Amino acid sequence: MADNYEEMSCSEAKELLRKWRDDNERRSDEVVQIFDYCLADKVKKLGSERLIVLEQVFVAALDCGRIKLAEDCVRVLISEFPESLRIMKLKAMLLEALERYDDALDVLESIINKDETNAAARKRKIAILKAKGQISDAIRELCDYLRKFMSDQEAWHELCNLYMMEGDYSKAAFCMEEVLLHNPFSHLIHQRMGDIRYTMGGQDNIEIAKSYYAQAVKLNANNLRALYGLYLCCGHIVNSKAPVNKRKEAQKLSTWALKKISEITNDKLPRSTKSSKNSNQSNDIAALEAAFGNLDAKLN
Amino acid sequence: MSKAFQKLVLGCGLLSLAHAAYSAAQHRTYLRITEQEFTTLPLDIILQAVISLAIIIYSILSLKSDWKLIHATDLQEKSSWETLSNIQSFYTFNHRGKAIFNPHYLQPAPVSMDSLH
Repeated sequence: MADNYEEMSCSEAKELLRKWRDDNERRSDEVVQIFDYCLADKVKKLGSERLIVLEQVFVAALDCGRIKLAEDCVRVLISEFPESLRIMKLKAMLLEALERYDDALDVLESIINKDETNAAARKRKIAILKAKGQISDAIRELCDYLRKFMSDQEAWHELCNLYMMEGDYSKAAFCMEEVLLHNPFSHLIHQRMGDIRYTMGGQDNIEIAKSYYAQAVKLNANNLRALYGLYLCCGHIVNSKAPVNKRKEAQKLSTWALKKISEITNDKLPRSTKSSKNSNQSNDIAALEAAFGNLDAKLN
Repeated sequence: MSKAFQKLVLGCGLLSLAHAAYSAAQHRTYLRITEQEFTTLPLDIILQAVISLAIIIYSILSLKSDWKLIHATDLQEKSSWETLSNIQSFYTFNHRGKAIFNPHYLQPAPVSMDSLH
């Protein structure tokens, strides 16, 4: 797939770009390659999707440091919408990529002056702080922003990431809980909550992490990371000073999780290699188990 | 409950519903013979029809009970943490991308140690 962008037809390329847009994938390098090989001469043929594809390619080009291509894209967009605030934001992003942060901030300020409710420009300002490495300032700004736009999931998610960069896990957990409230059925967010609690460590947090992982597994039985987290949490509880009945329960749960893990990993192997690799697989799992067993012992 | 008993209940329900329909038809004929104006069906026929319908629905549901669960996560099963944690509005661009993907990238001149002193 990765190598035959050159042979792709225009409609296939369009289709693929749309899929990536909908799935919220970054894949900047591929987007730029597809544009170079298939779409560069046929931009007019894209029809109603032309402008949105140009925006996508613009962001991808910035990601790849292809300033020239980004300038070409934004020039077309400006000629189409000379007054648009959305295009002005793109200009600010271009300045950002050129590391002219103060100019970018000026542009963003002027957007916010024209439209107080423009959330995207405010978020870009925070991204600039992040790009400059001023994480604590970015956190302050983002908290300010969230006071005004409380239901912005992306912003809560980003605040969680920023807190994690600073190592402030309890606040990161709070932000992730906020995201969880927006998607109570997302196994990935449960899994993330489990990750954060597990990282925080300590008996109580491990217990909480265990229940988050368990919920993630309940929502999606194929979530390998959550299963593994569940296994590790149970391992901790078994080796801790918890009451005996709790330890017994954890023991049961950890064997169950391990069984599920080996089922999934065996299923994923291609049929032909299955029999030959099966023994390898169980050896690997045994080795992993031994390694983590040692870790647990050291931690205590 | 056994399958046979449930089938029996279903049969009774169907018969009872058919009987209610027959009674309703009979009632109309009776009214026509006695030359009365039709207003509404008697309460017992309506009740019989409703109750037997409920019985039929219940027994069919429990007879054919190998239903599939609707998973709330079916749609998300394919999404990964990579796409979920990709937050577009907070992209930053000062990363290795420009060095890896741009063929014309010029490495910035190394900072000489003398300038640091």
